[in-house]
Amino acid sequence: MSTLYEEIRELMAVYPEPRSATLPALRLAQEKHGWLSPEALREAAEGLGETPAYCMAVASFYDMFHLAPVGRHLVEVCTNVSCALVGAQQVLEAFERELGVRPGETTADGEVTLRTVECLGGCGWATIVALDHRYRTHVQPADVGAIVEELRADG
Amino acid sequence: MSAPENVTLTIDGRVVEVPKGTGLVETAAVAGIEIPVFCYEPRLGPPVGACRMCLVEVEGIPKLQAGCTLTAQEGMVVGTGATSEKAAEGQNATLEFILVNHPLDCPVCDKGGECPLQDLTFRYGPGQTRMTFPKRTLDKPIPISPTIALDRERCILCYRCTRFSESVAEDGQLVARNRGSMSMIATFEDEPYRDLFSGNVIELCPVGALTSTQYRFEARPWEIQNVPTICGLCPVGCNISATTREGKVKRILSRNHPEVDQGWLCDKGRFAYPHLYAEDRIATPLERVRRRGFGEISWDDGLDRAEALLRGAGGRIVTALSGSETIEEAYALGRLLRVGLGAHSAVLPEATSSALDAFRAPLSSIGHAEVVVVIGEERVADRAPIVGLWIKQARRNGGDVVELAEPKLDAELEQRLRSSDRAVLIWSGRAGGGGARLAELAHSLGFDGKPGCSAFHLPATPNGRGVAEAWAAAADRDEANPEPIGLLIVSGDEAAADPAVRALAEKAEHVLAITMYHGLAVGWADLVLPATSYLERDGSFVNLEGRVQRLRRSVIPPVPDELGWISKLAARFGVEISPHASLVFAELAETVYGGEASFGDVGERAPLPARAAYEPPEPRPVAPIPPPAAAPAEHFLGTLRLLRYRPLFSGPTVERVPELRFQRPAAEVELAAADAERRQIRNGDSVTVRSESILTLRARIDRRLPPGVARIAEEHARDLGTTVEVSRSSNPFTSAGGERA
Ligand code: SF4
Ligand code: SF4
Ligand code: FES
Ligand code: FES
Repeated sequence: MSTLYEEIRELMAVYPEPRSATLPALRLAQEKHGWLSPEALREAAEGLGETPAYCMAVASFYDMFHLAPVGRHLVEVCTNVSCALVGAQQVLEAFERELGVRPGETTADGEVTLRTVECLGGCGWATIVALDHRYRTHVQPADVGAIVEELRADG
Repeated sequence: MSAPENVTLTIDGRVVEVPKGTGLVETAAVAGIEIPVFCYEPRLGPPVGACRMCLVEVEGIPKLQAGCTLTAQEGMVVGTGATSEKAAEGQNATLEFILVNHPLDCPVCDKGGECPLQDLTFRYGPGQTRMTFPKRTLDKPIPISPTIALDRERCILCYRCTRFSESVAEDGQLVARNRGSMSMIATFEDEPYRDLFSGNVIELCPVGALTSTQYRFEARPWEIQNVPTICGLCPVGCNISATTREGKVKRILSRNHPEVDQGWLCDKGRFAYPHLYAEDRIATPLERVRRRGFGEISWDDGLDRAEALLRGAGGRIVTALSGSETIEEAYALGRLLRVGLGAHSAVLPEATSSALDAFRAPLSSIGHAEVVVVIGEERVADRAPIVGLWIKQARRNGGDVVELAEPKLDAELEQRLRSSDRAVLIWSGRAGGGGARLAELAHSLGFDGKPGCSAFHLPATPNGRGVAEAWAAAADRDEANPEPIGLLIVSGDEAAADPAVRALAEKAEHVLAITMYHGLAVGWADLVLPATSYLERDGSFVNLEGRVQRLRRSVIPPVPDELGWISKLAARFGVEISPHASLVFAELAETVYGGEASFGDVGERAPLPARAAYEPPEPRPVAPIPPPAAAPAEHFLGTLRLLRYRPLFSGPTVERVPELRFQRPAAEVELAAADAERRQIRNGDSVTVRSESILTLRARIDRRLPPGVARIAEEHARDLGTTVEVSRSSNPFTSAGGERA
């Protein structure tokens, strides 16, 4: 048995209703596989004792689960109201130029995926850009070049 | 249980009184008022309020309410769209909203003419659309299985289908993917929706989003007739409507009998009707010419030949019955052979008994049992699929389901069964004497005096008991089996497909086969008289509850029906028997059914006869259940006992329906986890199964299987012996891991 299986079993024991472990189990599977491939969903389902279809349905509801492959790095630009008011669109366009991809796409070398997301809860520090889930605050279009360089340097 | 308290409320100015807690939709219906719905369907569990079609105004609540989620309360004042302008406006807006992305391709939609969305839009919706933007378009239809097509554009997201999959069939395969306007019904990764009950979602869908691939573009609702009859493919006897157009069956729908099937059908009952139009269906009597060939002959010649065979056998006749004959047909055949020719010897498909009549209850009683004990090694769903759904319902209602390989109760369970008022025993396996053993058990547990406690035996054939009783009623003599057999009469397709009957034929001088299919007659029959299907006959079946149900001819068969020609043939031997099922039934009702039942009473929704008094079943020759194989020693990979089973999707009918091929069992051997581990076999491995012969099958590990057995479907087990050795196939391309061959 894979260790993922065991980890999921442990998670389930934490909840009064074992099904509540679905989201954390999917997160574990995503971490292990990089994205929720059919294989990853099958493994999660086996651990949870649910069907792969159930896991797919749950995962497809949430934005932070990837049902398609993503790059090694993830750039998520908030384009919701507060960020939009201080120029999130321009930040996004700067990323598009810098990376040569449109939102939802991954660079040809498989390194970076660019996405737009809804409010990240950092409206007071808009524009928020999440780099591999870590927030950068007050991002301006002029910062984008350096950010991308940093990401690429990180290998 | 104390009677629930009643409440009085007002709907559209009408005062109604109903038990407290009654759903508002049902309460309105009592007052003769319709609250229109799409998603509401109490058989799927609690309401979800997904579609908002049922909006009503409730006095004291400022916003419109989803009527389907409310229950009747004392003093409630409700206005539906008929009297409340606000509710009418809300419903109108709901429909306009539902139609925003609906393609309105009614002219090419199968649902057109019997579509709740059409009907409710006509009555409650806007006459015109304000939608000027392009609608969402998607690929359509996409097959979600070989029997079901999905048109996602038409889906109104009522979630009936996914709720069925999750909360009734409990297969968890049909789900809603994504969210908001991009929500779509889907299966995992384009895998087919493969479940015994999948077809029910077609009937549940209130629009043309889920349609039957068999029925697609075959008919319009105004050209069809629906014939109320019953399914003849298993001992449940689900109530069905056969939809016919121009003399052909086009689809099978459920016809809810709340005590029997609750409006569900299995996919075998729903999708197997094309067996009527199989390529090898026999249309005229056939006579053997040369060794293997057949020549067509007229019916007159056919009956002459049959008469000659019957006379020539000089009474040395054995009849092999299928258990799928109507009781009228079995009785007529019995009269002809037993009274006309003194040929009493019959091979029945299984043992039957009336002992369980003392513990009779409707199948629906399983659904709210406190404890259900299932005894035997066969899957309930393979024998009587709907019973499997009732058991699931019991579990959802908080009941305990205990599965036992053998009828041995431990002290605690026994105590539990003794003290319960709602306990159910179910026998799902071989032996069991047609229910006799279970009756003894039920009696010993004191079920006699408790109307809420019941016991069911799951027979292997749809009407085995009815056939046995009718055959027995035809004469009152018995005679030993003739040696040698002059003539073997093979009645029906199941008997014709049975290897034991084939073996008997080896010993017979002549064989007369009554079958629908050329493939079942070729090579052994001297004379073939064409048979008809359960969809083409009038008559009655006795289901596993002991309920006498009525089959009605849905379409005129391409050949005369059995009762007709048996009656003619009987006359040649001086036996008078009516060619009309109703008259034969009247004769039978006198002798077998205590003169109480009449063909009319049985009607379209058959009642369940009252419980009989318990009588100890007659002692019968003991057929010991084979003992479970002794647990093998730690390091010795001993033999396993072969457990053959007949899957639901098998047999001559299913084999003739290509759309059902995907439902048939894979070439697998199921193993208990411990047995597999000991042999270093993993799920999906290719394994060698050997006894006198050798087979290669795929391994499947079943956590619920007891150790010591290898479970293989009849059609894949072929001529394996009763014990087998199972080992991982040594594959030249992978290292064999030192497994001994
Ligand atoms: S496919 Fe039919 S039953 Fe399923 S959600 Fe859509 S409309 Fe409802
Ligand atoms: S459960 Fe039995 S009677 Fe009901 S549809 Fe299926 S085969 Fe027919
Ligand atoms: S709107 Fe961007 S973080 Fe809230
Ligand atoms: S029927 Fe009430 S919300 Fe759908």
